[in-house]
Amino acid sequence: MVRLLLRFGEEIVDQPIVSEIILELKVPINIITALVNSKGGEVLAEVPQEAMDKVVAALRKRGATVSLPKLIEVETEKCISCGSCVSLCPVEAITLDNELSVVFSKEKCVGSTCSACVDACPVKAIKSVKQNNHELINSRLKGVTGKKR
Amino acid sequence: MGELKLKPQKNARTIEEINAKIRKGDAQVLTAEEMKKLVESSGVEVAFKEVDVVTTGTFGAMCSSGAIINIGHSDPPIKIDRAFMNDVPICHPGAAVDLYIGATAMSETQPYEYGGGHLIEDLVNGKEVELRAAAYGTDCYPRNSLKTNLTKDDLNQFYLLNFRNCYQHYNCAVNSRDETIYTYMGKLLPKMRNATYSGAGELNPLMNDPDYETIGIGTRIFLGGAQGYVIGEGTQHEAKSQNGTLMVRGNAKKMSSEFLRGASFTRYGTTLYVGLGIPIPILNLGLAKKAAIRDEEIFTNVVDYGVPRRDRPKLAKVSYKELKSGAITVGDKKIKVSSLSSLKTARKVAGTLKSWVENGEFYLTAPVERLPLDNVFKPMKQTESTPFVVNVMQTAVTCRETEEVRAIAERIVTKSVNHIVVVDSLGKLTGIVTSWDVTRAMAEGKTKLADIMTRRVVTTKPNEPLETASKKMAQHSISALPVINDEGKVLGIVTSEDVSKLLGM
Ligand code: SF4
Ligand code: SF4
Repeated sequence: MVRLLLRFGEEIVDQPIVSEIILELKVPINIITALVNSKGGEVLAEVPQEAMDKVVAALRKRGATVSLPKLIEVETEKCISCGSCVSLCPVEAITLDNELSVVFSKEKCVGSTCSACVDACPVKAIKSVKQNNHELINSRLKGVTGKKR
Repeated sequence: MGELKLKPQKNARTIEEINAKIRKGDAQVLTAEEMKKLVESSGVEVAFKEVDVVTTGTFGAMCSSGAIINIGHSDPPIKIDRAFMNDVPICHPGAAVDLYIGATAMSETQPYEYGGGHLIEDLVNGKEVELRAAAYGTDCYPRNSLKTNLTKDDLNQFYLLNFRNCYQHYNCAVNSRDETIYTYMGKLLPKMRNATYSGAGELNPLMNDPDYETIGIGTRIFLGGAQGYVIGEGTQHEAKSQNGTLMVRGNAKKMSSEFLRGASFTRYGTTLYVGLGIPIPILNLGLAKKAAIRDEEIFTNVVDYGVPRRDRPKLAKVSYKELKSGAITVGDKKIKVSSLSSLKTARKVAGTLKSWVENGEFYLTAPVERLPLDNVFKPMKQTESTPFVVNVMQTAVTCRETEEVRAIAERIVTKSVNHIVVVDSLGKLTGIVTSWDVTRAMAEGKTKLADIMTRRVVTTKPNEPLETASKKMAQHSISALPVINDEGKVLGIVTSEDVSKLLGM
């Protein structure tokens, strides 16, 4: 599965874009977080790797902006395992192991759409990092060339 | 535990006897956590017979820390008046070239990011730091300014000199407000959605010798990865209420950044994480018993940091066992809790100290003077009183949600106010409407109050400092705050005009 960050502007926020794509492409799209109001929306969604190109193209055709979400990373050498970040995480992506070391689950973390832990770290060991988006650029090209302008 | 060759049973041992065993390499040393397990499995009598020393540890943010340095004389000499190291303002409390780096002093170019704590860590790590100094110049110290780069090797003295460390235990913090706050207790989510605490509980040095039988002036300790000393009680020390603190000193040139880390709390400031451990000699049965204290026997208060007053409301009492479990219960609410100090490193402090004693690298000392047991930590004597919301609030003009806009307009005119507070039948706040809202509604032909009132209202409480209330208004660009009690009942209103009259802003 690949995580994608979708942004919808005011003009299209009232359209059932994601449902349409699910039906049209018969691809499961899993919404992880969504922040939507009348001005627009930001949705973090998970799609199967093999269907990514198709889904991205379909989303873009309907006017959504697609990017890879920034990931949250912990620099383990810096981390002092204080635990300040643990109680802030809404999805229990940060826990203490038996040795009382703070462990961080990239799978559970919902990424930069949350970021609740980032400014709580006293030694600035938590960073929001941009992902390499080659794949997405490629799929954008594919999406664009597939469409006559 | 290995076989023990104790001398004929005695009910006490001395520090000299323990040191003799350390010299021979057969002192029995346990960390505080191991000691508790032994007492649980074999009883306190056995533990007393078998154990000579219990090592403790803590690693937390300790703001009242710093380092005293002597940088030697320049040629021509200077009597430093103002100094900066890596842009952090440095204190010059004494003679020409003695400086004090305070952990909470913040860099002028990178405030909240870099401060005295980071500077101390950089020096400890052998990094070069830049010193800039200015002076007024005297006949004996003619120089007016100075710029040089220094490492710890260039310093004559580099001593950690912390005037309040090792708090015996500390509050657990929550925030009842509607917005996230950033405090010295870390980031606190609104509506008590998380809690933070500090302190190592049963591993804390002072918890294991709460009557200060063995910890006093001259006690040799683990400080920042090197050996240091207790030089007195810390500021705000209050042994009676288990709020003991220590003043300590140690040679920072020998310390390690594993146990001494600069840190910054968002929107609060910079500080220093200090690793501190104390060996407790088990001189008698009573000390063995005290060193067996468990997290479930150590309690602290859950305190609402959402109330910016000295006496913040205490909402519940919880044990360190609950705190370490990751969740506490306040009323009927379960709250996720996490620590600000590192238990992992606290354990490492106790473990390192244990190996030092076992390997004959660390000998115990008897205190040359005991620490005070009956100190009282007094609040500040204030010669000027600060105003609170209750001092300026007025009766609020109220209305009900079902009323017509016209009726509200009339009330605004007859009472000559700008804000009408909307309440329910119990007098609880449900919204607010301003003269501007009403004017606009009339222009747009709207008649129902329910359609134009604001339902998300920023509020205040009677005991909130006026300054805080005033900041809230500025932050939200509004000109009045309804004053409510804990149940949400409207008690009055405070307007920005009233505030400026009183605060002269
Ligand atoms: S970014 Fe949010 S979800 Fe991810 S670890 Fe931090 S708090 Fe948890
Ligand atoms: S707040 Fe930072 S230092 Fe503390 S445990 Fe989390 S990542 Fe580590």
